[in-house]
Amino acid sequence: MTAYVIRRILTGVVILILLSMVVFLVFNALPADPAALTCGKSCNPQVIEANRIRLGLDQPLYIQYWEFVRAIFVGRTYGSGTATFQCNAPCLGYSFRKGEEVTPLILKALPVTLWLSFGAFLLWLIPGVLLGIYASRRRGRWQERSVLGAALVGYSFPSFFIGLLLLFFVVIRWQWLPYPNYVSPFEDPVQFLQTMVLPWITLALVYMAFYIRLTRNQLLETYSEDYIRTARAKGLKEGTVIRKHALRAGLTPIVTAAGLDLAGLLGGAIITESIFSLPGVGRLAVEAVVDADLAIITATVLIAGTFIVIANIVVDLLYAVIDPRVRLS
Amino acid sequence: MSLNLDPTAAKVVGEDIASENSVAGLSLKALAWRRLKRDKAAVVAMVFLALIAFVAIFTPWIVGALGLDPYSFDQEALDPALGSIPRGPWGGISWEHPLGVEPLTGRDIFARLLYGARVSLFIATSSVVFIVLIGTSVGIVAAYKGGWLDALIGRLTDLILAFPFLLMLIALSPVLTQRLEAFGVSPEWARFLYLIIVFVFFGWPYLARLIRGQVLSLREREFVEAAVATGAPTRRVLFKEILPNLWAPIIVYATISLPTLIAAEAVLSYLGVGIIEPTPSWGKMLSDSVRYFVIIPSYLFIPGTALFLVVYAFNVFGDAIRDALDPRGSRNN
Amino acid sequence: MKRKSKRGLGLVAIAASGALVLAGCSSDSGDSAATDGATSSATDEAAVEDGGKTGGTVNILLQSDQILHLDPQRNYTGVDLAFMTGYMQRTLTAYKFAEGAEGVTIVPDMATDLGTPNADATSWAFTIRDGVTFEDGTAVGCADVKYGVSRTFAQDVITDGPTYAISLLDIASTEDGSSVYKGPYLTEGNDVAAFDQAITCSEDNKTITFNLKRPAGDFNYTVTLTAFSPVPAAADTGEGYDNAPVSSGPYKISEYTKGQRMVLVRNEAWNPDSDDYRPAYPDEVVVQFSLDPSAIDQRLIADAGDDQTAVTMAGLTPESLATVFAGGDPRFAERSVDGFDPYVRYYTINSAKVPNKMHRQAIVVALNRAELLTIAGGDFAGTQGDGVIKPNLATDYAESGMWTDLFGGEVPDAGNVELAKQLIADSGEPMPLITFDYPQTPTNDKAAASVQASLAAAGIEVKLNPIEAGQYYGVVLDPEQQNELNSAGWGPDWQNASTVIPELFGANGGFNLSRVDDAEFEALVQTALGTVDRTAQADQWKELNKYAMEQAWAVPTRFGKIQYLWGSKVGNAFLWDAYGSLPFGDLYVMQ
Repeated sequence: MTAYVIRRILTGVVILILLSMVVFLVFNALPADPAALTCGKSCNPQVIEANRIRLGLDQPLYIQYWEFVRAIFVGRTYGSGTATFQCNAPCLGYSFRKGEEVTPLILKALPVTLWLSFGAFLLWLIPGVLLGIYASRRRGRWQERSVLGAALVGYSFPSFFIGLLLLFFVVIRWQWLPYPNYVSPFEDPVQFLQTMVLPWITLALVYMAFYIRLTRNQLLETYSEDYIRTARAKGLKEGTVIRKHALRAGLTPIVTAAGLDLAGLLGGAIITESIFSLPGVGRLAVEAVVDADLAIITATVLIAGTFIVIANIVVDLLYAVIDPRVRLS
Repeated sequence: MSLNLDPTAAKVVGEDIASENSVAGLSLKALAWRRLKRDKAAVVAMVFLALIAFVAIFTPWIVGALGLDPYSFDQEALDPALGSIPRGPWGGISWEHPLGVEPLTGRDIFARLLYGARVSLFIATSSVVFIVLIGTSVGIVAAYKGGWLDALIGRLTDLILAFPFLLMLIALSPVLTQRLEAFGVSPEWARFLYLIIVFVFFGWPYLARLIRGQVLSLREREFVEAAVATGAPTRRVLFKEILPNLWAPIIVYATISLPTLIAAEAVLSYLGVGIIEPTPSWGKMLSDSVRYFVIIPSYLFIPGTALFLVVYAFNVFGDAIRDALDPRGSRNN
Repeated sequence: MKRKSKRGLGLVAIAASGALVLAGCSSDSGDSAATDGATSSATDEAAVEDGGKTGGTVNILLQSDQILHLDPQRNYTGVDLAFMTGYMQRTLTAYKFAEGAEGVTIVPDMATDLGTPNADATSWAFTIRDGVTFEDGTAVGCADVKYGVSRTFAQDVITDGPTYAISLLDIASTEDGSSVYKGPYLTEGNDVAAFDQAITCSEDNKTITFNLKRPAGDFNYTVTLTAFSPVPAAADTGEGYDNAPVSSGPYKISEYTKGQRMVLVRNEAWNPDSDDYRPAYPDEVVVQFSLDPSAIDQRLIADAGDDQTAVTMAGLTPESLATVFAGGDPRFAERSVDGFDPYVRYYTINSAKVPNKMHRQAIVVALNRAELLTIAGGDFAGTQGDGVIKPNLATDYAESGMWTDLFGGEVPDAGNVELAKQLIADSGEPMPLITFDYPQTPTNDKAAASVQASLAAAGIEVKLNPIEAGQYYGVVLDPEQQNELNSAGWGPDWQNASTVIPELFGANGGFNLSRVDDAEFEALVQTALGTVDRTAQADQWKELNKYAMEQAWAVPTRFGKIQYLWGSKVGNAFLWDAYGSLPFGDLYVMQ
């Protein structure tokens, strides 16, 4: 088990390194001069050249990459003379467009995305799995058909359309809620909830449909397995059969999907954040793209990729715990 | 987000498919078709999709016959004193403009909706074709060659799957479209190509994995082993024995991918990194309409409903196909 | 000799196309049109007793994630200047808080008077009042202002700011055109002595004297820019000063989370006796960043809770205008304004790439400007323009006549296709392919489609080149990357076309997107710049404006307008022509 964990983590690290290389390379392939992109609106050649040297953009790519990676662990000092600035570890770069270090920007955006993701996660996973179980118990009956039918409708709504509809009706037409305006839950819990409830519902509606179908399909499959039949034959209560046996075996793909979906969201629920103007990682990234802010783009893509890699590892390890059939070698 | 290029559903269900080639003497193809025809929802969806496909293919003629045009500006339909919003209720719906006009420009929404369908379907279908071609070939090669090649492909798919793909799609947009334009591709086509390229790039690994798994299990099966034992050349085994058994998972994967990609195109255009003006796109219409939904709600509902209906029809159809191709029978039995 | 302006560079991605407004500063005269139809609550002032004005919190709602630059030497955006001068940065002189023409007149702020020029206006002296202090209580003297100005010369660190200090102060240039003085951060190879001669301080550190390269009769307007604000040398952290500037005004930053919130509280060290300019009514000013532009509009329209004391720095989004102005809703009449902003929107034609004047004129003539105005938002977006000098720059404005006879025929707002074809035929050369660079926003995309269609009608082929909004000026200011046709906008830095014509078409112009290279024109520009007699100078600007239009270096697409809405409990709100903003420093909360 320990050996497997170590190996799994090592491959994850390798993937991360490759990912960082590809991301770094791709965004330095921008046709426009990366140094020219650093000084934004008022550019003159002196500024561009000064920034080129300060950011080390005059160095060969592999050295730039090395500096970038090193900065994550030990920090970095840009520039020389009195006009220097320190970027402390973990330094993910410096955005000249915003005049700020990237790490604090991301740390500031991350809680928003975390609240959004975990809230929505609970809101879709629990009802989704429960409705899936319900549908599987009512196989072939109208209850199953209506649950599945509703799920398919939800599944077919593009998330941004749901978000816009909610915003339009709940906030603008009926004015049941004030316009979303994010605050930390520790500062103003009421406003926080008022802001988050629609984004949560938006994400939950979209994802829940998928989990209903997935759970139902998995359960139907396991019901036909021999050990479930045995369990039933033994006279176990149906609830116990589902909980202890069927669900446990059928859980593996649900865990996989949930883990990966959550990781995807943590990397930025881009659309939802955009619609409800939540200052999360996704919105940070989109704005960086619009601004051609390479430092932030690179960092956000890397962060999001890291979440996915970690989620993959965690999911794999969870398998072992959940599914007795999985043997780790 | 509905935008997940990995139709995990297909992965999960696809593994069951192709395990039996025929049931009770009927070929799976015939059986599936019979089941499909019995599913009323699927038939409705199919007819609707056929209609959409027809409209998408013949858009210029249809729109032309109605005397409409998606590109021409109509200042007369707008009221400058109100900030150039359409004259009349419901976004300027009239005989002249059946679904109203766009604010600021006065372009006809109906014509743009139809052209938008064309663009959307074109991009989604082309992407799926390439995803299937690449995914299937790579999957087969990986399974068949095994060894270091399989390992390499495995790591490559791992790497691609580790990318936060929506973020990459957005971030790469300026990089790639500028590159394409530097090659002399027109801005409009650069966006089309860009979307197709990134959809294919981030889409094939899922199918390749699925196919690899299928091929590996097929190889263990008697009829394949028999063919190999009789000394049939690899090519023959591949094309005669393996490939015919893969079409079921491929079809399911394709029908599930299509609506995903249609939605993806809309999302990217909505975020401003997809289709550009003056080419019509549903996603762009939606993002434009957001600014007006207080005064012209119909402008939001029209493209939104269209998008929903097409994606929904594809999903109903995809579901039905999956059930129909399920060798153990489906919930309808 | 620098730079820029623009508005309406929208964010592509986010729901609406809000404006990443940043701009050259501005000013204008109170042409009556500027306040046409404008209603404001300024008149309510009389109804409120003086005692009721002090206290409360003014809320400022912003779409952008920051005030672009808090560093006074880097601050150059109209509304940002209004904000910073109103609350935290004192300048030698400042624009009066008043509606109409009065709003662009200057009054002393930190200085005792409006300055004393020498006979030919090549030297200006200002005396700093007693009791002016930084937020730590230390007195502000000549040396602090001088140090502040010196920072502008560090062009690699102090970016984005106006560079009038460099172009006006009497300091020699090196061969590459940059100043021999490189700012306070460099010691080697830096001609500090030259700077010390250009700005001198009196013995008592009270009187500052600026020695200029050329006569500048309006230099006391130049010093309204925060680029001429004091900075304590000890607190200067270069790049980092942008995050934590030292206040000399009645408020200081008590809390600042970038992208979210900034709170200004009273600066206890500020001495009201030293400041006749700022009434400093509210106890607190709270700025909220990164809001959705539609959300801002919705909140102002709803006018609930804290939003009753809210104002914005960007105008209303086009989609809210019908709600606020067209409904005839009395709730909005008292707390909204619709008037001219300081900016002219125009397209430049790159004369280096389109050298044939008749080709350029053909483009100007063929454009359907009526359609472009409709796309920009109709009557709320502005009126048709006829030059790069706007009527609210009153003394310098005259009709250019470009649409009646400048190109050999009448040109209606919808363009004159026949005339364009004729010009191309007469040019004797085939019309080149025109590539149109523009910052990509939903609205600009549509305008570009219109440009393409209207020029095509005259037989001019146009290729569209949308550029990511954030990169736009970086790209087009580079002659290598710039194409034939460009979208731009400009507002004067103060009440003189000397901040327009030379910037846009002069040899050293910081915003010469037309790439003008015309010796005769340049000689006339230099003459005008050196003319101290304001009336004579104005006549020259009028002629030069006409000259530029006749050369078809640019085509004005509109004289922009702006609309503001504010909370029902905000007092003294009106359209302040100095910056095209609300008069932040003058606002109060109705108790």
